[in-house]
Amino acid sequence: MTSHDEPEVELTLEQRLALIEGETRGVKRAFGVQVPIYYFVWGGAWLLGYLLLWAAWEGGPSPVTVPLVVAVPVFAVLILGAAVTSAIVGVRTNRGIKGTSDFVGTVYGISWSILGGAVAAVGYAIIAAGASAAAISIYFTSAYALVVAAMYLAGAMLWHDIDLLVIAVVMAATASVTGFFGAPGNLLGTALIAGCTLLVGGVIAVIRYRRM
Amino acid sequence: MDELDPVIHAPARLRITATLAALEAGDRISFPRLQELLAMTAGNLSTHLRKLEEAGYVDVDKTFQGRTPVTYLKISRAGRRAFEDYTAHLRALLEGAP
Repeated sequence: MTSHDEPEVELTLEQRLALIEGETRGVKRAFGVQVPIYYFVWGGAWLLGYLLLWAAWEGGPSPVTVPLVVAVPVFAVLILGAAVTSAIVGVRTNRGIKGTSDFVGTVYGISWSILGGAVAAVGYAIIAAGASAAAISIYFTSAYALVVAAMYLAGAMLWHDIDLLVIAVVMAATASVTGFFGAPGNLLGTALIAGCTLLVGGVIAVIRYRRM
Repeated sequence: MDELDPVIHAPARLRITATLAALEAGDRISFPRLQELLAMTAGNLSTHLRKLEEAGYVDVDKTFQGRTPVTYLKISRAGRRAFEDYTAHLRALLEGAP
C-alpha cells in the first residue's frame, strides 16, 4: 500500500504507457473543454444579432421587420452576454493555474476589451462627425470583425491553433468584403458568413475534443 | 522493469508526474485543482507529492491568497527530464518486446 486509500498495483508496460497517455489526454481535455463554448456563444450572438439589425433596417429588404428599439437592445444583450459567458468560462477553466498560461490568458482577455473600446471610441467620433447611418453600420460591423480577426490571429500564434487561424482569415475577409455590399447588406453578410463560420468552428472544436 | 525510475514507477506517482508534465511549461497548479484532475484523496495526493518533492521532481510553493494558505505545484526541470526519460525508456522496452 502506498497510502491508506490506494493499493499499490503492478502494471504492465503497456498499461503504464496507456496511463501516461490517458493523463496527458485528460489534462488537454480539462483545459480545452471551453473552446466549443466560445465558438457557439459568439457564433450565435453574431448570427442572431446581425440578422436582427438587418431586419430592423428602415426600408431594408428583410421579409420580417423588427423594430429598431427591439433589435439594438437585443443585439447589445447578445454581445454582452457572449462576452460575460466567455470571461466566466475562461476563468473557471483555468482556475488554480498560475504562471505562463495565467498571464497569457489575462492579457488576451484584456486585449479584447482594449480593442473593443478603441473601436467604439473611433465609432463615436465618426458619428459625431456626422457620418451617415450606412457609413456607421459599415464601420462598426467591419471594425469589430477585424478585431476578432486580429485577436484570433494572435490566438493562433499563441496556442498554435489552426482553427483560429482559418477563422481569423475568414473574419478578415468578411470585414473587408461586406462593406461593399452597402447597408444593410453588410449586416446580413456578416451575420451569415461570420456567424456561421464561428458555429462551424464550434462543431469542429467538439469533434476535436471528442477525439482527444 | 528494474531500470525504470522507481520514484515515478508507482502508478499514483506516475499519474501525478504525467499530469504535471502535461501542463504548459512555466505553469503551476493549485493542490485542489490537481486533486480534482486526478480524482485522488487529499491524503493520498499529499503522500505521493512528498515523495516526488523529496526526489526533487516537484517544486512546491506555499503561498497565501488573502488569508487562505494555497499550495501550488510544478514539475521541476529534473522531474520533467526524469519523466521524459521514463517514457522514452518505456517505449523502448515495448518496441523491444517480443
